[in-house]
Amino acid sequence: MVSLRFVAKRLLLLVPVLFGVATLVFAILQLSPGNPARAIAGQRASEEFVRQIERELGLNDPIWVQYGRFLVEVVQFDLGQSYTIQRDTAVSTILRNKLPITLELALYGQLIGILLGIPFGIISAVKQDTITDHLTRVGALSGISVPIFWSGPLVILLFAQILGWLPTSGRIDAQRFAIEGITGLITVDTFVQGVQATLESGFAVSHFGPFFSAVSHMILPAATIGIYSMALISRMMRSSMLEVIRQDYIRTARAKGQGAKITLLKHGLRNALIPVITVIGIQFGSLLGGAVLTETVFGIGGIGTLLVEAIKVGDYPVVQGTVLVFAFLFTLVNLGVDITYSALDPRIQQ
Amino acid sequence: MALGAWLRPRVRLLATAGTIGTVAGALALLALAAVRTPEFASTQTFAVGALVLGFAVLGWSGSALAGRGIESLQTYLDADTGWTERDSRRAMARLSGFGAGVMVGVVIATTLLM
Amino acid sequence: MSTETEMGSGRTRGVFDRLRASPFLSDLLSNRLALAGLVIVFGMTAIAIYARLFIDLEAISLTQFGANPPRAAPGWWAELFGGGATAATGGLLEHPFGTDGQARDIFPRVLYGAWYAMLYGTITVGVSTIAGVGLGIVAAYFGDVTDNVVMRTMDVLLAFPSLLLALALVAIFPDGLGLWRAVAALTLVYTPRFARVIRGAALAVLEDEYVDATVALGATDPRVIVRHILPNCLAPITVQSTLNFGLAIIDLAALSFLGFGAPTGTPSWGLMLSNGVEQGLLTGQWWWSFFPGLFLAVTVLGFNLLGDGMRDALDPRMREAID
Repeated sequence: MVSLRFVAKRLLLLVPVLFGVATLVFAILQLSPGNPARAIAGQRASEEFVRQIERELGLNDPIWVQYGRFLVEVVQFDLGQSYTIQRDTAVSTILRNKLPITLELALYGQLIGILLGIPFGIISAVKQDTITDHLTRVGALSGISVPIFWSGPLVILLFAQILGWLPTSGRIDAQRFAIEGITGLITVDTFVQGVQATLESGFAVSHFGPFFSAVSHMILPAATIGIYSMALISRMMRSSMLEVIRQDYIRTARAKGQGAKITLLKHGLRNALIPVITVIGIQFGSLLGGAVLTETVFGIGGIGTLLVEAIKVGDYPVVQGTVLVFAFLFTLVNLGVDITYSALDPRIQQ
Repeated sequence: MALGAWLRPRVRLLATAGTIGTVAGALALLALAAVRTPEFASTQTFAVGALVLGFAVLGWSGSALAGRGIESLQTYLDADTGWTERDSRRAMARLSGFGAGVMVGVVIATTLLM
Repeated sequence: MSTETEMGSGRTRGVFDRLRASPFLSDLLSNRLALAGLVIVFGMTAIAIYARLFIDLEAISLTQFGANPPRAAPGWWAELFGGGATAATGGLLEHPFGTDGQARDIFPRVLYGAWYAMLYGTITVGVSTIAGVGLGIVAAYFGDVTDNVVMRTMDVLLAFPSLLLALALVAIFPDGLGLWRAVAALTLVYTPRFARVIRGAALAVLEDEYVDATVALGATDPRVIVRHILPNCLAPITVQSTLNFGLAIIDLAALSFLGFGAPTGTPSWGLMLSNGVEQGLLTGQWWWSFFPGLFLAVTVLGFNLLGDGMRDALDPRMREAID
C-alpha cells in the first residue's frame, strides 16, 4: 500500500507550509493599519499607557528582531494572548475550544458533498444531454449560484420555523443538556456519553437524548455547506466521467459484449474518481471559507466566526493563530487525499 | 558528486534572486525613507519582503502538496495552461529568494545608514 | 461610466464579428439555459438603471418610523395569511417585500441593491480583467522567467480559497474605504483568473506563423499586441468575465454580510441579508432576508447560465463531447 516514506515526506511539508503562513501573517499584520498597542489599551486609553504597552510588547524594536522573536514563539506553539476577544486568554486555549466545532461542521459538510456529488456527477454523465442531465447540471449550477448566507436562512425558515422538524441554531439543546466531553466533537462526545450510560445501566433511548439533539442541530448547517461542495464535486465528476466514457478501452470492453453498466462501474468509475479525489483536497479550502459564513448564519461559534471577529476588532494574535490552524488543517486534508489517491492509482507511488 | 550536481543549479537560482532582492530592498528602503521616516521605511519594506517570502514559501510547499489537485482542476474545469509542479516550485524558489533578499537588504541598509 | 459602456459594446461587436462564421452564436441562442441567463442579466441591468435614475437613495437609506410600520409583512402576505400586530393595511401591494426593523420599505431597497451589485461587480470584474489581460499578455509575450514567475504566482493565488484570501486582503486595507475595501480585495483575488485564460489565448496567437511574419516585417511589440493578440483574446475574455461576474457579486455580498463591505444603512443585498438574518429570521420576519437573497441568487444564476453556455459554445472539447 502506501509507503511510510511517502507519508513522512508529505508530513515534512508541514514545516515550510507553517513557516510560509507564519511569515505571511507577520507581514500582513505589519502592513495592516492600526496599532496593536492601541487595540489592547482600548480607544480611550491615554497616550502614555499605549506607549507602555508598546514597550512591553517590544513593538519599538527593529522589525527583524520582532520577526525573529515571532518565529521563535510560533515554533514553541506560543501563539500569544488574545488582546480583546477573550482578554488575557492564551490563543492556543481559545483555538483548542473552537477548532473541533468548525472541524466537525466541515467534515460532515464534506461528507454530504461527496456522498451526493459523486452519484449526481455519474448520473449526469451517463445520461448526457437528457432531461436528467440538464436537471442535475442546473441543480449543480444553482448550488454554486445560491450563496450560503441565503440558502442557510432558507432552510432555517423551512425546516425549523415552518415545519418545525429541526432546531434553528446552536449545537445542542442547551437548556436540557450540558456540553461535555473530551474530543469537542459534539456528536462523538454525546454518543460516547450514551454508550457509557448504556454500559452502566442498560439501554434506554433517553441515554442518547443529547446525541440526537446534537445530530439534529448538525443537519441543517452541514447540509447547507455540503450542497455547496456537492455542486463542484458533481461538475468535476461529470466532466471526468465523460472523458473516461469516451476512451477507447471502454468502447473495447463494450464491444467485447460486456453489459454497459458493468463496464462503466468496473473500468470507468475508478479512473474517473482519481481526478475528483485530488480536487476534494483543494476544495476543502473553500469549504473552510464556507464554514465562516455558515457559522455566522447558524450561530455556531467556531474558528470561522472567531477569525471574522478578530479581524474586525484587530485582535492580531487570534487572527494569526486562526490562519495557522486553517493552513494546518488544509495540509492534513491534502495528505489524506494524497494517500487515498496513491491507493487508487498505484502507478503514482514512488 | 550527485549532491553537488543537484545542489548547484538550485543554489545559483536562489542566490541570483536573493542578490536582486537585496539590491531592490535597499533601494526601496532609501526611496521610502526619503519621503517618510526611516523607521516607517524600514518596517514597511521589510514587511513587503516578508510578504513575498511567506507567499512564495507557501506556494512552494503548496505546489508539492496540492499539485495534483491543481492539475486535475485545470484539465477538467477550465483552460489547461500546462501547469507543472516543477515549474511552479522553481518560480516560487525564485520569489522566495527575492523576498528573503529584500529582508536582508533592509537589515543591511538600515544598520549601515541609520 | 460611458467608457465602460463603449468598451462593452465594442467588445461584443468584436466577438460577434469574429464568430459569425462559427457556430458560436447559434449554439448559444439554441441553448435555452444560456438564453434564460441572458434574459436575467438584461432584466437585472434594466432594474439597476431604473433604480439609479428613479429611486432616491437617501430616502430609502434613512429610518422611516412614522411613515411605515416596522417589521411589517408584505401586503399580499398579510392579506392571505395575516401578519400579526404590525400587518400592513393598504391592500395587496402595500410594501410588496415588507418593511425592516427601521420601518424602511424593503422593495425599493432591493431594487437599488441591483445597482450596487451591477456597479461594483462591473468595477471588480472590469479592473481585474484589465489587470489580468496585461499580466497574461506580458507573460505570454516575454515568456521564459517572466512567464514562469508571473503565472506561477497567479496559480498560487488561485489555489487560495477566494473568501479567505479576500478576508486576509481586507485586513490589510484601511478601514475608512467602506465598500471600496471589499472591491479592492476582490479585484486582487480575481485578477489571476483572467491572467491565466488570456495567457493561454495569447500563446495560441503567438504560435501562429502569421504573427511571426508580421514581426519579421518589422511590426513592433505594442503593435503586435494591439493588432493581433488582443482581438483574438476577446472571446475568452468575454466568457471569463461573464462567469466571474456572478462569483464577484456573491463574494462582494459575502464580505458585506460579514461586515467588511457596505456601511450601515446602504441598500446592498449582502448587508440587507445580514440584518435580516440577524434581527428578523428568528422573530418571524422572513421577508427581510428572503427578498434580497432571492435577487442576489437569481442574478448570479443568470450570469452563471450565460457564462456556462458561452463556454460550451466556444470550447471545442465540450462541443466534441456533445456530438
